[in-house]
Amino acid sequence: MSVNDGAWKPKVVTFACNWCSYAGADLAGLNRMQYPADIRIIRVPCSGRMDPQFILRAFQQGADGVLVSG
Amino acid sequence: MVAVAQHPNIKMYTYSEVEAVNGYIGNFTVTIRQKAKYVDWDKCNGCGTCETKCPTKKLKSEFDLGLGNRTAIYKAFPQAVPNKPVIDAENCRKLKNGKCGVCEKICPTQAINFDDKDELITENVGAIVMATGFDLFDWTQTYGEYGYGKFPDVITGLQFERLVNASGPTGGKIKRPSDGKTPQSVAFIKCVGSRDDTKGKTYCSRACCMYTAKHSLQVLEKIPGGEAYVFYMDVRTAGKNYEEFYQRSLNAGAKYIRGRVSKIYPRGDRLVLKSEDTLLGMPIEVEADLVVLATAMEPARGAEEIAKLVGFSTDKDGFFQEAHPKLQPVETFTGGVYLAGACQGPKDIPDTVAQASGAAVKVAMLFSKPELSTQPMVSEVDVSKCSGCEFCVPICPYQAISMKQVEERGPKGPITRQAAAVNEGLCQGCGACISACRSGALNLKGFTDEQILAEVDALCL
Amino acid sequence: MKRVGVFVCDCGTNIASVVDTERVAREALEMPGVVYATNYKYMCSDPGQDLIKKAIQEQNLERVVVASCSPRMHENTFRKAVGDGGLNPYLFEMVNIREQNSWVHNDKEEATRKASDLVRMAVFKVLKNEPLQPGTIPVTKRALVIGGGIAGMQSALDIADTGYEVILVEREATIGGKMVQLDKTFPTLDCSA
Ligand SMILES: Cc1cc2nc3c(=O)[nH]c(=O)nc-3n(C[C@H](O)[C@H](O)[C@H](O)COP(=O)(O)OP(=O)(O)OC[C@H]3O[C@@H](n4cnc5c(N)ncnc54)[C@H](O)[C@@H]3O)c2cc1C
Repeated sequence: MSVNDGAWKPKVVTFACNWCSYAGADLAGLNRMQYPADIRIIRVPCSGRMDPQFILRAFQQGADGVLVSG
Repeated sequence: MVAVAQHPNIKMYTYSEVEAVNGYIGNFTVTIRQKAKYVDWDKCNGCGTCETKCPTKKLKSEFDLGLGNRTAIYKAFPQAVPNKPVIDAENCRKLKNGKCGVCEKICPTQAINFDDKDELITENVGAIVMATGFDLFDWTQTYGEYGYGKFPDVITGLQFERLVNASGPTGGKIKRPSDGKTPQSVAFIKCVGSRDDTKGKTYCSRACCMYTAKHSLQVLEKIPGGEAYVFYMDVRTAGKNYEEFYQRSLNAGAKYIRGRVSKIYPRGDRLVLKSEDTLLGMPIEVEADLVVLATAMEPARGAEEIAKLVGFSTDKDGFFQEAHPKLQPVETFTGGVYLAGACQGPKDIPDTVAQASGAAVKVAMLFSKPELSTQPMVSEVDVSKCSGCEFCVPICPYQAISMKQVEERGPKGPITRQAAAVNEGLCQGCGACISACRSGALNLKGFTDEQILAEVDALCL
Repeated sequence: MKRVGVFVCDCGTNIASVVDTERVAREALEMPGVVYATNYKYMCSDPGQDLIKKAIQEQNLERVVVASCSPRMHENTFRKAVGDGGLNPYLFEMVNIREQNSWVHNDKEEATRKASDLVRMAVFKVLKNEPLQPGTIPVTKRALVIGGGIAGMQSALDIADTGYEVILVEREATIGGKMVQLDKTFPTLDCSA
């Protein structure tokens, strides 16, 4: 399975602030905006809650990408 | 209006602005700046003698949107509430260069006080209702095709309201600003700045279709033989009895033309409007004596600043953001702060009143309980780990962390040292302090490090 | 290990048309701690909430996960149901498989897999949840209204009529706002002062 044959699915861990980005992802849903299903969102109360160890742990456990949005 | 002034439970601060808001739901401290009025309202009986005697008479009245004049000591309009005047310091002869003082001499109650100063007042409240309303989009900056405001007979809908108002500058007679003549033909242009993403706003201002129908009726009723032309994109009359009202204006003879006016230019003492009639599919030209623009509603001047001050968010257009468009239209994301009226989005009076009553009920709900329960997902300190470094104190955006003295057993008896303490009323549970804490003494209940790491692990399985 | 119950909502067809909710419930049973899992047409409805309350008692559940719409929509609804069922309301986690899944993805297989992943995430988290107690704070029973147009006046009068004090701040010298500049007002054409 290589990146180019299309079968590879990345694992993207997203940390989204409850008040903006998480609400934004909800709004995207309300408007039925389609996007790839590879994203998994973890709700945090604020991007200020982010700790570098969360990101490191995700990569350590095999995440292909981490998105922090807030 | 008078009911507000007379209500024993309402304390009014007019000519005042909120300068600072601190605290949180149930416990806000507000600083209000009462601007200098130069008139002691406790003494003033509102007789109005000062206004008639003030020698500075030719100032443009803001209330009449420049269509009428006022004096330097003035009430916005004769039925103002409270019915007391203020002195416009920038234009008062006495305040500017020390000469005059006529009002002081003739005031029968000695209410004039040229030494008046701004006053700061502090009040404690539990809830805040935002009702700062709207202002009108300034079309003169962008609509060159309508003359950038250089034709005096191209006016806004709100100016038209002053012309038809019985207590307005013309005593309710529709007269052209340029020469005071009664216009025979009046043209209305809707959506000036609304639904126009190149020059104005993307949104619909909601009240203009209806007030333009009202204006056209007023032209047809007040001017014998008068004509009313309405240029429109769509006619939107979603509201109880609204369609019927629009039909009334059609039956009275208002001529609706579907198209956007592309240019206005003078011909003699009249104005020519060029447009396309998109229903007929051909260009059209209308001559009018007066043109009235239905300009877009936008957030009130200073809305952004007051939102920051009180601490809640605005939407992409600068209107105040409600917590949910369907289910929480009067709440904000900030506890204890509610919205009413056009500050939340363009609205007419029936919708404004409905939302205002809704906001009032939310406030009453909040006050109906003896105390509030706080959300428990707040920061927590493990005192045994806290080194008292104070790093978290400035990080907290809500000033919820302070240092307190704790007593501990030491090798040579008890010692006291400082450790962080969280005020659960102030803490909003953002968690910013936790990543700042080097000794791992802080954690956020409900979103602990262990919980979030468990989520990461689960997703990466 | 704590006993976890997982409740997957179909939301009519809002979720179930894209996510195979039965499969999600089945797969949940393989996750650590999960002793009970089911799907139902409308979890937020009365029968849906009863299902949760009953299961808490009959299955001796100690933790609850609901996979349905956004927590921004119904977190409080379910928290209350969990509380009514006899558990501390914070021994509960919610999974968003509507706004952030079925509404934004078409591929059933991928969406179902994502839903299972998200449920697993919540199960892992809920196992670490602790009972929480809300605190209390006092309320100053006076309101501030900023702006004295029709909106501010109406709010102030209504609040004042319920018996509470109101402070009304208006930046102009008079209250009334735009409405007092108007002549007559639609749709009734009565005066506006
Ligand atoms: C030309 C025109 C005609 C209309 N005709 C009709 C009609 O016939 N029928 C109808 O239903 N609707 C009509 N409307 C709509 C109507 O005007 C609004 O629905 C209504 O005024 C909204 O009330 P409000 O209290 O939200 O806002 P506003 O009337 O704008 O009042 C806001 C108040 O807040 C004050 N304020 C603003 N910022 C601050 C601050 N920072 N601190 C303190 N005070 C502040 C302002 O000074 C003002 O007094 C018309 C609108 C226009 C433009």
